[in-house]
Amino acid sequence: MANMADAVSLVETRRTARHRRFPRINWLALAMIMPSVIALLLIGLYPLLFAVSLSFQRFLLNRPQNNGMFVGFENYAKVLEDPLFWSSLGRTLTMLLIVLIIQIIAGIGIALLVDSSRWRVLNWVVKTVLVIPIAMTPAVVGLLGVLIFNRDFGLMNYLLGLIGIEKINWLGDPTMAMAAIIITDIWQWTPFAALIMLSSLALVPHDMIEAAKLDTKSGWMIFRYVKLPYLMPGITAFMIIRTADVLKLFDMPFTLTRGGPGVSTELISLYVQRMGFRIFDMGVASAQAVLLLILCIVLARAYIYFFYRAPEAE
Amino acid sequence: MRKGFVLFLVLALLVVGVFSATPSRAQGTWSLAEAAKPYAGTEIRAFFLERPGYVAAQQMIPEFEKITGIKVTWDVTPYENSLEKQTLDFTGGTAQFDVVLVDVVWIGNFAANGWIVPLEKFYKNPALADPELNLDGFFPILLESFGTWNNVIYGLPFDNYSGLLYFNKCMLKEAGFDRPPDTWEELLNVYGPALTKDGKYAFALQSRRGETQSADSFMRVIWPFGGSLLKEDFTPNLSSPESLAGLKFRQELMKYMPPDIVAFDHDETVQALAQGQVAMITEWSAFYATLSNPATSRITDCLGITVEPAGPAGRRPALGGFSLAINSSSSEAKQAAAWLFIQWITSEAKAKEYAERGGVPGRRSVYSDPEMIAKFPHYPALAESWEKYGNPVFRPRFPEWPAISDVIAQFGTEMMLGNISVEEGVARIEAEMRTILRDYIEGRLPRLQ
Repeated sequence: MANMADAVSLVETRRTARHRRFPRINWLALAMIMPSVIALLLIGLYPLLFAVSLSFQRFLLNRPQNNGMFVGFENYAKVLEDPLFWSSLGRTLTMLLIVLIIQIIAGIGIALLVDSSRWRVLNWVVKTVLVIPIAMTPAVVGLLGVLIFNRDFGLMNYLLGLIGIEKINWLGDPTMAMAAIIITDIWQWTPFAALIMLSSLALVPHDMIEAAKLDTKSGWMIFRYVKLPYLMPGITAFMIIRTADVLKLFDMPFTLTRGGPGVSTELISLYVQRMGFRIFDMGVASAQAVLLLILCIVLARAYIYFFYRAPEAE
Repeated sequence: MRKGFVLFLVLALLVVGVFSATPSRAQGTWSLAEAAKPYAGTEIRAFFLERPGYVAAQQMIPEFEKITGIKVTWDVTPYENSLEKQTLDFTGGTAQFDVVLVDVVWIGNFAANGWIVPLEKFYKNPALADPELNLDGFFPILLESFGTWNNVIYGLPFDNYSGLLYFNKCMLKEAGFDRPPDTWEELLNVYGPALTKDGKYAFALQSRRGETQSADSFMRVIWPFGGSLLKEDFTPNLSSPESLAGLKFRQELMKYMPPDIVAFDHDETVQALAQGQVAMITEWSAFYATLSNPATSRITDCLGITVEPAGPAGRRPALGGFSLAINSSSSEAKQAAAWLFIQWITSEAKAKEYAERGGVPGRRSVYSDPEMIAKFPHYPALAESWEKYGNPVFRPRFPEWPAISDVIAQFGTEMMLGNISVEEGVARIEAEMRTILRDYIEGRLPRLQ
């Protein structure tokens, strides 16, 4: 007992001594970190600051004569007054809500199923299969979608035909085209949710579940009060990643529907791209991008505030 | 003595001048190999698309490299990204591409901004100009619309398209027709009902949002009905009775098209004809290659080709295509090498080979050659479209077209879907066009299209 106390006091003296001294710089560590810090600043921070500065300028790529003129908040005013910006943002947020709910529920379902399975081989196979959609390039997914959702010879209508459902006009009908994009996104990213949930489930202490089983026979109660708290950090992380993802989702819808028919699948990123690289108004496009970034940060903070509960807190 | 010396000097200069600069010398001894000597070892990069004409060029490049010692590399980009990619190259001054690709609708943009070099610099330089260049050998409409801006030549026609009516002779015959429709009205009222049955459709008009909607679908129905995009003073002309008639005609024609026609791009449309799903399409001449190849088409024996149908205002087929031009940011040596390449690949001498490898040359001589007509039965219709019905402003070529095209693509599709009426759609397009074209309408920019 005395030895223990000595050891503790020794550690404490060392700690205070270290604090008093001038903090030593570990040059080796610094040298090893610096390249990545510099790279991050160059490819992360510099373009961001550049975009912010562009958003206050007149900058038309195809009429470069007066470029660089400071215009104050004019570009932001243009964005905020633009009904198309708001409608495409609304469309994106609706899609976000739908895919988040479905992906999280389905992800948890798959994770619970795999977690409770006793066959190790099955576990391994499922985990491998889950990675495949995530590993696919979104542009390729979009191009595959064009074939799968083709009205006349697409796989989707063929499969629906087998169970007697009439041909659906997937890409030519505004609502169904949005559905096609949502289905594709769910197909690609639900496995990601499942993998995150699986790793979160691995954190749940086994004895805690055993103890809970003594108290209740309801699987739902065990899930709700024992497992779910451990899943919350994973769910929050998933929500943050996917929110950023959906706000900048471009390749897949661009190749699948190019925002059409009409504007029915024009997500916000497609609109920003259109402004920047079709209309070539870089000032307005940058203002849109900056506003999106702000939205993304606000949402991420909100998720953490409302959903994130460390398991110990419960 | 001094006089004599001056006289000698003058004479000597004259002799040198006569022998070095007269066309006779150039014509007598000009050869590509000689002209390229100063540029041997220069590497130039070309901007290519993934279409048959570019594959043909790629197959021909080794020969050019062998003759000249100039190395030609290329990047293949999807059409949808090509304006963006080249604009960024120009504005950044990076000169990634020396041989740039100019769509008919980009020439005003590229030329007015000084991004491409006026070709006079080369074709008036006897050291670089092939005496057999013969600019008059191009179809005038092609050189004028893809290559020329404000009376200055910037590019030579390389990949050339006209809209054609492709039809399935067998389907038409089965329905009792021994010829394709001559007018749009006939197509709608006679052929439409007779050919739309059993899940098959009389016609497909590629209308996917994008340039396909604005150029291939929207503008295609405006012109034959006597309408146009702009008036003389550059105010919009879409609400004129003629333009509206064209757009309303399109709405009516939709009942004889596949229900998901707004999702049809070129591929889907060509496939629909190739697989026997629809009886007629109006598509670019370049798709002849796909439709006549048994590996990609089921209807090779039934394929018929003619000029696009006429409207009340006559035949006004779609016009499109690309010229090759030279990047102003490239070094002098690269510019000269790029010129030699462009001059060679678009030359009369190489035109036949280019056509046989799958390209569509802009040289008139090829289209009157009986041997070539036997090989490519669509040539007469193509030549007729360019010679007789070519419309250089089928789409305006000023820098603002991409922005207008975008607005048309959006509201044009909404119109077809029935989300808004034709009149309302037109009103919204016109309102946007007035903002986009304000500087022209108010006279601050020269009205060039």
